[in-house]
Formats: sequence, structure tokens, C-alpha cells
Amino acid sequence: MARKDLLDIASLRREEIEFLLDQSTSFKKLFTHSVKKIPALEGKSVLMLFYEASTRTHSSFEVAAKRLSAEVTNFDVAHSSITKGESVRETIETLQAMRTDYIVVRHAHPGLPGMIARQTTASVINAGDGAHEHPTQALLDAFTIKEKFPDPRGKKVLIIGDILHSRVARSTSTLLQKLGVEVAYLGPGSLVPKYVPASIRRFTDYEAAMAWAPDVVYLLRVQLERQDVQFFPSVREYHRVYGITTTRLAEIRDRGLYIMHPGPVNRGVELCDAVMDYERSLITNQVENGISIRMAVLDWLTPGGEFPRQESYVAPQRASATVGRP
Amino acid sequence: MLLLQNARIASENSPLLIEGDVLIVEGKIQAIGHNLATPKGARVIDARGRILMPAMFDAHVHFRAPGFENKETITTGSEAAINGGVTGVVMMPNTRPALDSATAIATVLENAKLRSRIPVYTSGCVTKNREGKELAEIEGMRELGVKMLTDDGDTTNDPAVLLRAMQYATEFGMFFASHCEVPELAGPRALNEGVMSYRLGIKGSPTCAEEIIIDRDIRLAHAAGAHVHIQHVSSKLGMETIRWWKSRGDVQVTAEVAPHHLLFTDEHIGDYDTNYKMNPPLRTQADCDALLEGLIEGVFDLIATDHAPHTPFEKAQDFMSAPNGITGLDTALVSLYHYFVEPKKFGWDVVVKRYSAEPRRLMGLPVAAIEVGQQAECLLFDTEVETTFTREFMKSKSQNTPFLDQTLKGRVDLVILGTEILLER
Repeated sequence: MARKDLLDIASLRREEIEFLLDQSTSFKKLFTHSVKKIPALEGKSVLMLFYEASTRTHSSFEVAAKRLSAEVTNFDVAHSSITKGESVRETIETLQAMRTDYIVVRHAHPGLPGMIARQTTASVINAGDGAHEHPTQALLDAFTIKEKFPDPRGKKVLIIGDILHSRVARSTSTLLQKLGVEVAYLGPGSLVPKYVPASIRRFTDYEAAMAWAPDVVYLLRVQLERQDVQFFPSVREYHRVYGITTTRLAEIRDRGLYIMHPGPVNRGVELCDAVMDYERSLITNQVENGISIRMAVLDWLTPGGEFPRQESYVAPQRASATVGRP
Repeated sequence: MLLLQNARIASENSPLLIEGDVLIVEGKIQAIGHNLATPKGARVIDARGRILMPAMFDAHVHFRAPGFENKETITTGSEAAINGGVTGVVMMPNTRPALDSATAIATVLENAKLRSRIPVYTSGCVTKNREGKELAEIEGMRELGVKMLTDDGDTTNDPAVLLRAMQYATEFGMFFASHCEVPELAGPRALNEGVMSYRLGIKGSPTCAEEIIIDRDIRLAHAAGAHVHIQHVSSKLGMETIRWWKSRGDVQVTAEVAPHHLLFTDEHIGDYDTNYKMNPPLRTQADCDALLEGLIEGVFDLIATDHAPHTPFEKAQDFMSAPNGITGLDTALVSLYHYFVEPKKFGWDVVVKRYSAEPRRLMGLPVAAIEVGQQAECLLFDTEVETTFTREFMKSKSQNTPFLDQTLKGRVDLVILGTEILLER
């Protein structure tokens, strides 16, 4: 059952997901102990390779690795040869030579963690690649939902916001559907593509989405930095049309819905300040669960395999062996 | 002297093959018939079972010289052409410096005379340095034989600039080739907008980015009374737009389709395989089917590869960082046979007409038919053996193609140009 890498949710089997969620429960129990550390990864090295800024995912992985007694090194991108024009490929060769056991990577380019994984013996964990995947976020979201709904089959999660640019929406929706949860997207027409999978309901009207009767409302951060053109007129208008306003929060409270958000929150945009005090907000639970999920993932993966041949600049292995019409 | 015996001869006029002997004397076809006598001193080649057809002509290639000789040179590019049964090419002008002046064109043509075994023609830029602002010095290029003007790689974005260029250069008997893409809509992503772009997390390029410019440039040609040639069409609606304009009959429009747009879809990108990253991007199966329909129907006048070499170093990057492009000269003819002729999607006449005769007509060149009195410009194709596209087999300096290490049916056995046998396997 062991795997070398965790690159996406799509390829995870149901039993692997269940295993990771169970392991996370065990690791979470450790948090209440006075000594929170176990020697599971003693002598192992974890390299944090974050090409994009991150606070919570980065520190969550770091804490998780340290609680498993691994040695953590932060690859300082700002001061690395990357700023001198070194390509990612050259960086990978350098990292492979260091024989690290785990590489946790975040990059703006989708598919890049997979490319690293094919070229190193280290276990590679995708900590977010562009708008593609963020598998540990999906696992911690599922874990958080399962704490409230132990059997989540048939429950409904409404994901609101910028679906087009969101790796969280892709990974979390895939994982929740694997657990039997119904998923719908809500957002501006410019940010919820018409070609999302048919299994996901698509709404652009808040009232219609609420009439679908969700159990959880999952707000995505509006990623203004990823938007190369204007996708909606203003954040004020966004908040009014798609945000959780004070009035809408009252309705959510009446219905007893849970609220989630992967953080960091843009207050006054996705949600009003009062949500932070809402008793059914699971935002801090998500942060806490992030550590136990990442411990479970690090503990589960198995680095190794044959040392890759140092054949420079050979195209990565293709997904399919045949070409032409399937 | 060369006597090809019992060949099956293909032409652009019929899918049927005619069996016969062909005698070539001093680079010209002297006789065609059954049981031709062997003249003294003639070399006899038993072509039984093999197909004799006019050599191909590719009106859209990137030979990267000057400026990017690490990707391809005129020598390696033209050898790749010969390897694939192609005996004439038209280079695109997106080199460095761009081919936007008589000086630059003269350098390329001189270079080609010295370093290529086949005729190499070149297009010229519409605008200086392909920037879309100032017109290139067009007449100087025409004097050197340039017929096609294009800012290929990019659209000439300002319609007023292109309209003026069309009004001006049409007077010199030149025509325009259009790379069709609204840059603000397409972005740099080279992935079709659709189910795959959602799955891979890459903002896609919608087909309308291409279709708008197809329509715009034909309208501009209509207004200017110019001839516009639409390059590498990738979408169904793009094909239908061209079909509609052609049906009106009041504008001179030709169009090309590339083998990869007929063969592959965005699903082939799979796990971010950069060999399938090209511009315009690979679309859907419905688009492939429509393009095939357009080719058979004649909406597309010609097949052109858009041979676009890039070094393994560049293509080994992640999908977002890798450059757009796929090589095509080594593989085009065999792949057309394997995927279309052999499964009877279309006949040899389509291949000869669209990949040999029409591109030569577009460029105002004599058609290389297998007819008495014509210059011998032909090839022998064996349908019974296979070709494996190994690195060693490819003559292009770059091997950015999904066909690498693949085996397909068919093989180019012999390529003749005048008195020269350019290739013999």
C-alpha cells in the first residue's frame, strides 16, 4: 500500500484515503501529550522547497516533520541559484545529489511536483502546484468534515469563490466525491468554468445555491494575485453577491451550517468579521488538523527506489506508450 | 538513367494507383509504361509493391536560422525534410534577426544554397521585427523571390497595419499567411480551454481566440482584395469559418492543417507531456473530426507541418515553462499513411494533392507530377514495412515529437530530385 509520492488526489484509492484519515486520528491524539514528538522519521531529512509564499502550509509541514523527529531544511529560494537563472531541472539535480528523503514542494506551475518526483528518489509531496492540486489540504478538509459527520456520505458541500484559479477546489472536491459527499460550486460566471465535471453542480446565484441545501459552506480565498485580467468588478461587489455578509451569516446560523476556509481569509471579502466568532466555523480546526494529516502523509510515504540515471535533459516519461487516436 | 519497374504510381487526381515503369533520364521523366526496355547503362530499381509519388512540399517550417541554430540549422532541417520525403520547404521568418529585410532574406537564401540539398524558400515578415507596428521593407524581399508575408508565431495584432500591408503588398503579387490568435484571449498557455485545462489547472486558450482572427483576416483580405492563407487551423468553427468564406467566392483564401491537429487531442497531454505543447493548442476529438472532414472536402488546401524544433533541454522543463512546438518533417508522411491512408480515411490522392501539389501551387512553383516531360521530383514509399522513429533515425536537430521511439506503418525508401538520389534506404 505504500507509495513514494503524494502528487494528487485523483490517483488516490479509497482505502488509501481511509488509511490516511485513520492515521491522522491517531496522530492528533498525540497533540494532547506533554511530549508531542515520536521517533517515526528519526534520521530522515525533509526538504521544504517553496517557490511560492506560504505561511500555514509551510509551517504545518515543518511542525509535522519535526513531530516525527525528521530533520527539516528550508531551501531558501530567495537566496538560491534560482535567482541566478538556474532552471528547475538543474535545481532538481542538485537536490537529488543531496539525497534528501522527502521533498515538500510548492510552485506556481502545475505539474512541476510530478516532474520532480520522476527525477528523484526522494518522496515528493505536492504542497500546491498552481491551480492544479493541493492534496494535503483536501485530506485535512475531509478529516475536518469527518470529525463533524463521521459518515459523510450524502452530505453536501458548497464551495464558493474563484474555482478557476483554485487548486483547493479541485483537490477537495475530488476527495469529497470519493467519500460520497455531494459537491457544488458557486461563484461569478467568469470564475466557475462551464466545463467543470458534470458530477459537480454549478451555481452562479447565491440563493439558488442555498436552496440546494448544503451542510457545509466552504469559502475560497479570492486570489487577486493570480488574476491577470479583471474577473469581477470590485471586491465590494464580490462580497455583496458571493460573500457571507452579516445578513447571510444569520441565515447560516439559523440553518446550522458549518463554514470552512483554507485561509488566509480576506476579511470583508469572502466573509464578514463576525464569521470568525461563529460557533460552527471550522477554520481553526482545519489549521490544527493540517498537522496531523501531514504527519500521516510523511509517515505513510516510502522514499527510495533506484537512483535515477544522470542522463541530462531527457524528456520525462510520457503518460501513455502509444500515440494517435485512442 | 534510372528505371523504376512495376511501381504503383499515385497522383493528385485519383485515389487509384496505376502500375507501371518509369524511366528517368538526366533528371527528367522520359517514359511511363508497361515493360519499358532497359536502356544501356540505366540503373534498374525493382519498385514492385511500392508506391511512386511526387515528393512532398512543406509550406510551413521553422529552420531557426539565423539565431537559434542550437535547435535547427538549414542543413539539419532540410535533411529532416528529405528523411520524410519532402523536397521543398518554406521557412517562417521568426528567426533572430527576424526575416524582415532584403539583407536578412539574402543571407538565408545564400546559406540555403550552400547548405541544403533541396530548395529552401522563405517567407518575409509583414512588419519590422514582427512587432506589428511598422511595415517591413516588402519590395526588397519580393525582388529576392519572397511571395509569402507573415508575422508567424504571432498575429499582426493591429488590423489597420495588416490592412495597409495587404493593400500595399498585393500590388506586388504577394500574399499573406496568418497565424490566428488574439493574444489577450489566448495567453501563453498553449492548452485548449476545456475539460483538460480544468483538470490540469492551466487556464486554457479558447478556440474563439483563433476563430476571431481567422474571420478578421479574411475580412481584411476581402476589403483589400488580397490573398490570405490561414495557417495551422485547429478548431471546428475555424474550419467552418473558412468554408463559409470560400463558399461566398469573393475573396481569395487558402488554408492549411497540420498533421498533429488531425491526430492528437488535448487529452494526449496526459501528465503534462510537453511534446504535446504547441500553438495553436491541441483541441478535442470533435475538432479533429471536423478538420479531417475539412481536409477531405478541400476546405484545407494543404497540409503543412509547422515543423518547430526545440532542444531537449527546453522541452524537458515543466509544461508552463517549455516552449510551444513539435517537429514534423521526419514523421509527417509516414504518420499520414499510418493513421489515414492505411485505415482508408482518405486515399493517396489527398496526400499528393494537399502535401505536394497545392503547396507548390500556393508558392507559384511547378507541380511535381509523375508525368512525361516533368522534372523527376518523387519518392518511393513502402507500405509493407514499418518505421521506428528513434533518435538515430531523425535528422532534425531536435526531437520534440510524440512519435519519438514509436513504430508506425510505412517507410520512405527513396527520394529523387532531378539527377540526384537524395535518400535511399
